[in-house]
Amino acid sequence: MMAANLQFLARKLTGAIMVLLLVSVLVFVLMNLASGDPIAVLLGDQATSADIARVRAQYGLDQPLVLRYFSWLGQVVQGNLGTSIFVQLPVLQVLANRAEPTLLLAAMSVSIATLIGVPCGTLAAVRRGSKLDQIVSTIAMLAASIPSFWMGIILIRIFAVKLGWLPASGFGAPDAGLLLHIKHLILPAIVLGVLNSALIIRFTRSSVLDILHEDYVRTARAKGVPEFTIMVKHVLKNALIPIITVIGLTTALMIGGTVVTESVFNLPGLGSLVVQSVLRRDYPVIQGALLVIAMAYVLINFAIDLLYAVIDPRLERKG
Amino acid sequence: MQNGAIDTAVSVGDLSRRRFLVGSIAGASLFAASGKLSIAAVGKDSLSLAMIGEPQVLDPMLATSDLVGTVMQHVFETLYTFDAKWNVVPLLANAMPDTQNEGKTVTIPLRQNVQFHNGQPVTVDDVLTSLERWMKMAAAGKAVARLLDKLSAPDAGHIRFDLKEAYAPLLAQMALISNMAAIMPKTVLKDQLDQFVGTGPYKFIERKPDQYVRMERFDGYTTGTEAHDGYGGKRQALVKELRFIPVPDANTRVEGALSGQFDFADLLPVEAAERLEKAGDGIKPIITENFGFPYIVFNTKEGVLKNVGMRQALQAAIGNEELLLASFGDPRFFRAEGNFFPEGTPFYSRAGVDNYNQNNPEKAAKLMQEAKYDGAPIRIMASRQYEFHYNIAQVLVEQLGRAGIKADLQVVDWATLVQRRNDPKVWDLYITHSGLLPEPMMSPPQLGDSAPGWWTTPEKTAMLKQFNTETDAAKRGQLWGKVQELVYHQVPYVIVGKFNALSCRSSKLEGYQPATWPYFWNTK
Repeated sequence: MMAANLQFLARKLTGAIMVLLLVSVLVFVLMNLASGDPIAVLLGDQATSADIARVRAQYGLDQPLVLRYFSWLGQVVQGNLGTSIFVQLPVLQVLANRAEPTLLLAAMSVSIATLIGVPCGTLAAVRRGSKLDQIVSTIAMLAASIPSFWMGIILIRIFAVKLGWLPASGFGAPDAGLLLHIKHLILPAIVLGVLNSALIIRFTRSSVLDILHEDYVRTARAKGVPEFTIMVKHVLKNALIPIITVIGLTTALMIGGTVVTESVFNLPGLGSLVVQSVLRRDYPVIQGALLVIAMAYVLINFAIDLLYAVIDPRLERKG
Repeated sequence: MQNGAIDTAVSVGDLSRRRFLVGSIAGASLFAASGKLSIAAVGKDSLSLAMIGEPQVLDPMLATSDLVGTVMQHVFETLYTFDAKWNVVPLLANAMPDTQNEGKTVTIPLRQNVQFHNGQPVTVDDVLTSLERWMKMAAAGKAVARLLDKLSAPDAGHIRFDLKEAYAPLLAQMALISNMAAIMPKTVLKDQLDQFVGTGPYKFIERKPDQYVRMERFDGYTTGTEAHDGYGGKRQALVKELRFIPVPDANTRVEGALSGQFDFADLLPVEAAERLEKAGDGIKPIITENFGFPYIVFNTKEGVLKNVGMRQALQAAIGNEELLLASFGDPRFFRAEGNFFPEGTPFYSRAGVDNYNQNNPEKAAKLMQEAKYDGAPIRIMASRQYEFHYNIAQVLVEQLGRAGIKADLQVVDWATLVQRRNDPKVWDLYITHSGLLPEPMMSPPQLGDSAPGWWTTPEKTAMLKQFNTETDAAKRGQLWGKVQELVYHQVPYVIVGKFNALSCRSSKLEGYQPATWPYFWNTK
């Protein structure tokens, strides 16, 4: 058993390293192939070609690509992601500054999406074909179709501008406590939660429907087990695998994939950092941020794999 | 049985659901109360100021963008600054300079008993070293360095510029907030600053990139005794803390201002004007007139527009008013006039303005024929970083088309545009804009020698030399007319017109004076 677990871990680790290497090479190549010069942006209109060449050399941007890549890789292995060209801070620090808002928003959004998605999907499956099922399906379709920026602006207009209940934007003042940060994230979390609940509703409905017709469910009903217990202990538990998968993928998307919402609500998240860095060609930050996002995807997938084994011990025995 | 199970579930859960509901309401109320005071602008101890983006650097000497200067002018000061009428007035200097030797020797008296934020007194060595760095690192400083024989300190209270020839823009260059000639302690000066220590009414506290730049009142600030006038005179930090918050999305700045989250929101879309005006007494929209000008730069070095006849043809085809209407929509926010400087300012002139806003495709076609235009498409570069650049480009394509000129519109992101414009082989014209600055030589950069466009002609060199060595302000004002006329004749660029900027403040923000580079001393 121990040997099987170790083998499993070794396989996952090897796969993770391959994925991260591939991502780093792809990002590096694409980034340097794209036109645009970070130094020209940094120095502005008045800079001469000589100024630009001089500063490019200071940042090592005049070196051959391959040399630059391996130099960067060597630093990464030592835990150093380099220094941002624009903000003159270590990339790790720049990313760390974005960690709290990103992770907090991800946690709140996924919670909302799950709290909407799983019960609605389950109800829709249980009442398949009924008006409730149609309403839930329509809600899921609308949630998948509504543009996030539109929903964000509407929520801001109602809850921030008209009612004044919640802040319109930002993550809170420098001395704000966790409660105030959470308050700033309520509206964006609602946007992301509602929009991402659509997929969870559909997957939950489909997965629960598959289980509802199983023999053991019919047997439990025949034995007089309460319906709520059947739903929780037998149906949902067995339907969880695909639901967990989609919740995991949604979580991964929240790390770096919520640029539009971050822009509307002016949140200092990882997604907007990547976009801003791409626009100003801040190569070290682009490289570092995308590596971190790729790592997040790998870790989340790994966590999902572990959860599978917890939910369904048969998977653990199969290794 | 299913219904019974559900009923059971409901009845069993009913009591616990009620408790949950009551608890939730209580919790929500507590939550709301705990943060309510912090939703709106924090109060008189602090101002939340929404700016258009993150300052690229905090070193004011390096930065050419007004955003950096706008933020850091609260921390750093210069020897001279501008009053409300754009006259140069002393700031860290004690008085206007003594000029000798036909303007080639400029001696500046220094204000005494001024303190840096770190407690050190400002000495003449600090001023000298700061200016030396400025002349090494800032584009404006380099222009001065090229004309400098020697910079020295004849005594502890003066510095002296010995120039190869008189240079009229010297004081204005030193007063500008971009490429700022900021005075810093000698001990912190290095190529890459890691401390931001100045003499301003606020001291730098911290920067969290893309979140805020924070500064606090400097209690040791020595103010001038003169009455407050523009950027000159008394500067009092009436509010303890300033927070400059980058809010790149213009709509978010508007909503934040309307909800009371920001005390001030800069550079708002003109479409928001009506909403701000109808927002009630809590918000005051601000229109800053003659804020800037869009302009079209021509490649005079290579390509189709190397031929001055072709540039004149394009100028004839261009309808400036149409371009401005497409860009700004509301006539309150633009002015279509050919004089580069507004009426009533020292450099106002109507010379050459017959060439402005011609919108004459027939004349353009005739000029093209004379220039033997071969039909090659004109490569137009524009970016959507500023949406009005793109609008201008689109209408320009149509205007050129009317004259029979083919256009190849290349829309790129800003980083690509600033890279490509340094290569004369890949573009014929590009669209950009600038702030309208009080000294003509400050903008556009094409008045210099090496800016993209590469306008270098003997007439330009001779005329600008005459303009820049004339130290009599009145005569210099008249000489500008000749430069303006030369620009209309040789067409290195076309100034589209002038635009006004929209921003807004909370009505609770007292003492704010509308300014091109917003400042928040003397406000509360």
